[in-house]
Amino acid sequence: MATDLRISNISKIYPGCIANDNVSLQFKSGKIYALLGENGAGKSTLVKILSGVVSPDNGEVFLNEKNLKLSSPLDAKKNKIGMVFQHFNLFETLSVFENLSIDATEDNESLRVRINEILKKYNFSIDLDVPVLNLSAGQKQKVEIIRCLLRSPKVLIMDEPTSVLTEQETEELFISLKKFCDEGILIIYITHKLKEVLSLCDEVAVMRKGKVVSVSQTQNERVETLANKMVGQKLAKIKKKINISKNKDEIFKVKHLNFYSDDPFETNLVNLNFSVKKGECLGIAGISGNGQNELFQILSGEIITPDTSIIFRNKEIAKLNPKQRREYLMAFSPEDRISQAAVPELKIYENVALNNFKSSNFFEKGLVNEKKIKEHSKKILSDFSVNTDNVELKSQFLSGGNLQKLILGRELITAPELLICYNPTWGLDVGAINYIHETLIKINDQEKSTILISTDTEELLKLSDRIAVIYKGKLSKIMPSEEVTPEKLGVLMGGGSID
Amino acid sequence: MIKIEKRNDVPMALYFFTPFIAIILTILGGGIIFYILGFNPIEALKFYFITPISNLYGFSELLLKATPLCLIAIGLSFCFKSNNWNIGAEGQLTFGAIVGGGVALLFYNQEGFYILPLVIIAGAIGGMIFALIPAILKTYFNTNEILVSLMLVYVSKLLLDYLVVGPWSNPEGFNFPETRQFSDSSRMPLLFDGLRIHSGIFLALAAVMLSWFVLYKTYLGFQIKVSGLSLKTAKYAGFKGKTMILVVFMISGACAGLAGVGEITGPIGQLHRMISPDYGFTAIIVAFLGRLNPFGIIFASLIVALTYLGAETAQIFLQIPKYTGQVFQGMILFFLLASDYLLFFKVKILNLKKNELRH
Repeated sequence: MATDLRISNISKIYPGCIANDNVSLQFKSGKIYALLGENGAGKSTLVKILSGVVSPDNGEVFLNEKNLKLSSPLDAKKNKIGMVFQHFNLFETLSVFENLSIDATEDNESLRVRINEILKKYNFSIDLDVPVLNLSAGQKQKVEIIRCLLRSPKVLIMDEPTSVLTEQETEELFISLKKFCDEGILIIYITHKLKEVLSLCDEVAVMRKGKVVSVSQTQNERVETLANKMVGQKLAKIKKKINISKNKDEIFKVKHLNFYSDDPFETNLVNLNFSVKKGECLGIAGISGNGQNELFQILSGEIITPDTSIIFRNKEIAKLNPKQRREYLMAFSPEDRISQAAVPELKIYENVALNNFKSSNFFEKGLVNEKKIKEHSKKILSDFSVNTDNVELKSQFLSGGNLQKLILGRELITAPELLICYNPTWGLDVGAINYIHETLIKINDQEKSTILISTDTEELLKLSDRIAVIYKGKLSKIMPSEEVTPEKLGVLMGGGSID
Repeated sequence: MIKIEKRNDVPMALYFFTPFIAIILTILGGGIIFYILGFNPIEALKFYFITPISNLYGFSELLLKATPLCLIAIGLSFCFKSNNWNIGAEGQLTFGAIVGGGVALLFYNQEGFYILPLVIIAGAIGGMIFALIPAILKTYFNTNEILVSLMLVYVSKLLLDYLVVGPWSNPEGFNFPETRQFSDSSRMPLLFDGLRIHSGIFLALAAVMLSWFVLYKTYLGFQIKVSGLSLKTAKYAGFKGKTMILVVFMISGACAGLAGVGEITGPIGQLHRMISPDYGFTAIIVAFLGRLNPFGIIFASLIVALTYLGAETAQIFLQIPKYTGQVFQGMILFFLLASDYLLFFKVKILNLKKNELRH
């Protein structure tokens, strides 16, 4: 039976922000729909409304002309609307089967039969009796999808499903989604990745600032046209010029980096060796959870590992803590900008004082030099075009992009010889991403080096001079980026090997 | 159905105002309890909160009780602000009193201006050492400081018990569980004749000023603040986490030790079993009621000291046990936590129709 989902004049207003402004959309089964938009465009709110997590202030949702009352996720389930969130809702220590049986209404035997049918039908290979924590991100996602399929959904909503997948896993996902679509399930695919929209979806709705700005057939669209609709302005293309760094000095050299942890949720690192040349950007690719966290913390000095040798500007720094490493002109931008790189409850200038290098004189003889810190903060705010000049503002009121600019500004104002950043553009919108990318390129142009640990292959290919892949705590060989293609990276990130 | 949501923007003014709401609610709650017990609530509350401080002597008693509370709470604020949950201040107070008292007993038959400073320093060092035990165990052996510091309270109390009935008991004391009286040179000078308020209050005031300076104007204070908000950030910024844990515990222990010494060299004048009516525990309430802010703590210590006095007055005039003081202290903490909860979260009541309730 054909499914017809209609959203009519939905509005949702949060204090200080209109998340959805009179949104009307229509979806019909047999097609895959993309909902495209930057962070904060209102996609998530709309999806939360459809899945019953949030109630709209105004407007209605119709499924096959029936007016739906979606006041809780249970209502969405009852009405056969399935949802796979970006962050998985699975119990890591329970087995796959236990996870699936938690909210099942039937007995275990018939449930197992039905799960096996689904596995066979869609060619999923998942061992039902292993704990979820042993699964890859792609497999976990499949478990979530199976959970939806068990309820024979009419609508399946996928929220940024590829952000944690390898290229291969993404392809597999797309094949499955097309299959579901052929079987009459209406698929709504939420993303900010333009290429995915073009390769997977039939129709695309673009949202910007809470409003639907365009609905169109994807065959009439190109990456550039969609990007312009999404951002609402012409994007300047930035392209890194290839750095001729063949004969430059090695400024940073890591030898025998090993890390063993008793914590099952941490990844052991096995004998990493690499070096960075002056003015070079070394990219480290990988799906998150393959040791990047641990690597970043060891490079920054938050974790000190015995036997590792880290040479920076001809000095051994492996035993130094982050503050001491900063004195040697290293800088760090961690992935978690909200609870690590900055403290939301602190004011902007206090967050700036976290990078307390000696010559800053932020703290003289143990006393706070507030005037100095504030002056310095003002300079960062204007040099890095953060959209406020109030250094007394608590940083929780900065948007992700502005916060990241502040953090980068704080780290770069010391003119470091080496910047190590980990997913610097994670969760940011296109405008902010461009700004950060330009900044990172500028650093290399000034003969300073960067190590870019990132899960975004596009970003790595754009910025890196050489790229290595980290997989299960091991580093692949380091390749010049001209020789690297997204497919090659995908193979390595998924644990395969290339010649 | 009830739904709880985090509020995004909590005004600072309201944050410092809620302790007053908590106090008003405590007084109302106390009135209700008195009413249920069959007393005239207005009269009972008057005995509790007004009679005790209606004369000079009462007021001096209020300051006397507020002094140790304030000192300990100031010390605790260093720990609490940096996410170290030292709840063993009572033990640090006791151990400080033991060490300080030990020095005072050494000089029991001597006079000299140098004796009191020695006793005070010994007490502070005693508290500091005792606080270092949970701190070292936490930093080097990953133990939980809440459990260790709490259990050490009983260790120090039993040690005090042993000393006052055993080796340190007064040889001329007819086997009473108490030591000799300290000599006058080991006693805190009284501020006024006939009142018990002593110069220990200056120690508390000095601690307030010093802690304000350290917490808000120094690099150590900045590190404490950042670590309290996010340990991950502190690590990333390269703060010496272990050293800081040791330092805040030492500050906190020293303050508790000073409070202990203030009691035994002030109103008590010797060591015996009951040197503190749980000041070390009550100071936890004081620290939070004062919002971990040095000046807030002054105010909070006065309020909580009043519950001690009120309980004594109520015992005399209304014949109700003085442990009602603890009921009031408990209510203050309860209402404070509750109003904080409502300050940071909003409760939404969602309307559901009957048939939806089945889920």
